[in-house]
Amino acid sequence: MRGLARWTVLAAAAIAAVAVAAAAMADDMTVSSGASDPGMTQERQIREIRQELKLLEQRVDQLENENDRLRKANAELQKNTQKLQTSTTEQISALQSKVAESPSPEDFLSAMDRFLGRYRVTLVGGAAGSFIYDRNSNINTFAFDMEPIILWQLSDKLLFEGTIEANLPAGGSADYQLPVADFQYFLNDYVELVMGIFDQPFGDWYEDQSPFWVNRFVTAPLPYNVNPLIPPTEIGVQLRGGFQWGQMGQVADYTVWSGNGPGYSNSSCTNNTPPSPLPTCTSTAFVGDTLVGVNNIKLNTHTPSFGGRFRIYPLPADSDWGRLELGVSTYDGKWANGLWMTSWGVDFNYFRDNLQTRGEWIESYRQMPAGLGADNRQGWYVQAGYFLTGLTLPFVPSAANEYIDKLEPLIRYSGINQRAAVLANIITTPEIGFTGSPALYAPHAREVALGLDYWLAPSIVWQNEFDLELPEAGGFYSDTGQPVGAYPNDRAFVSQFAVGF
Amino acid sequence: MKRKLISGFAGAAVALALAACAGGVAHAANDATPAQQKRQMFLRGAELWPIYCNTCHNARPGGEFSPTEWNMILMHMRTQANLPPQDAKAILEYLKASR
Repeated sequence: MRGLARWTVLAAAAIAAVAVAAAAMADDMTVSSGASDPGMTQERQIREIRQELKLLEQRVDQLENENDRLRKANAELQKNTQKLQTSTTEQISALQSKVAESPSPEDFLSAMDRFLGRYRVTLVGGAAGSFIYDRNSNINTFAFDMEPIILWQLSDKLLFEGTIEANLPAGGSADYQLPVADFQYFLNDYVELVMGIFDQPFGDWYEDQSPFWVNRFVTAPLPYNVNPLIPPTEIGVQLRGGFQWGQMGQVADYTVWSGNGPGYSNSSCTNNTPPSPLPTCTSTAFVGDTLVGVNNIKLNTHTPSFGGRFRIYPLPADSDWGRLELGVSTYDGKWANGLWMTSWGVDFNYFRDNLQTRGEWIESYRQMPAGLGADNRQGWYVQAGYFLTGLTLPFVPSAANEYIDKLEPLIRYSGINQRAAVLANIITTPEIGFTGSPALYAPHAREVALGLDYWLAPSIVWQNEFDLELPEAGGFYSDTGQPVGAYPNDRAFVSQFAVGF
Repeated sequence: MKRKLISGFAGAAVALALAACAGGVAHAANDATPAQQKRQMFLRGAELWPIYCNTCHNARPGGEFSPTEWNMILMHMRTQANLPPQDAKAILEYLKASR
């Protein structure tokens, strides 16, 4: 079609040219019939016509090319328009269906995060209500304790942790403590800096095992009970971190710290009520003084204390041998000018399937002023628990087996050895981790605890504990000079409902 | 003597930490796509979650807290239990994804 048009145009142009040439020739013949060489003139005219034809041919080619380009552009434009229409239709359809359906939980949370901000405060911790019966002290009472932990994430590397401990012991008003308030800053993946008041990184008890719902028993083992061998908290700085050294699960971790050091409740200082963290009068130290309680924060007038803890997990995660933790801890600090309190301890924790065991040995050495002799102490505990999960007893209704499934029987043996106790320090007001028995203050206290936990959920437990206080005779009361005879063996029962939130 | 022992203990701990840094870098080398890496993290977290948590207390399921809360709690637990970084990240991935 295009060729035909081309030839039509060319033919028309040729006819026009021939007509023009013929007319010109006629004119020439008419005007200059007497020209010298008519053949030459004709040739020249033919050349001109050919030239004109060539120009016209070029022009036609140019127009055809332009036409082709425009046609292609038009086709492309049509294709794009079609694509755009399809895409727009799909997008509208997707939006319409999204608007029609309710948002997914992820979308909702994402929107909430955008609205509330990425870094926020959250509240975790625990609460516990307990009933305490102690035969020797004739105590029958309820108590309540609460320990909220405030976590405030300030950036991807910085977290603030604050713990408030509130006790409502029988016969007393509420008692508040601030056992933890610190900033935790991750310097890199393997080193973290902690600054403030922190749980003592010694053994597993203070940092990891003391929360109500975490401790399998209601009470603390004797080395961490009323007459602890190690201060519960410290104010200072820590460097800590963990790393994998072998296969998955074979890890180790370290903690090194420096703080203000230990303080003792000097019973003869009458201008303040012991245990006061900051004695306001000069007092005489006694062998067997109890360490200052939760807030072991005294003014540091001596060398700062320091210590370290190292743990290793030798078994890989995918082995069938269970999980074993081995730990070693140290604590060194001056409790008075020139007088050191040094301690070390070793601990283990092993669990496999339904069985969990843990234990610890602690040695503590306290230098005393001249003439009083050393105040050395030892403490230990070993405990085991077994979840009855999966146990189906024959001849027992299935409904009963459902309850049995949630039980965890426990046993713990703990003890303390020290030269003396301070008679004035003995209190029987129940607090958490304390049954009220004076036998706990004996220089050679021993305790067997039998427990039965009923787990309603992973962090909700009803705990029952029966304690046999079996102190051995020996030692003396350092504030009265009397020797300590045999304590009557004591029995106590403690029941607690604990929730971790 | 005791102080020397303690200094040696602290020094050994720091040296081990530094050695672990090198190990951590080696572990990080992974040619998998981001989606595959996420899946690997999830599986690693699923395996480690009961082991690490049960060392101290019963393992709590992912549904108990929101993802933002888990971020804070895992930061807290990294401090509390000195969790290795890659394992803490894997457990966090698992807890958030298993809600």
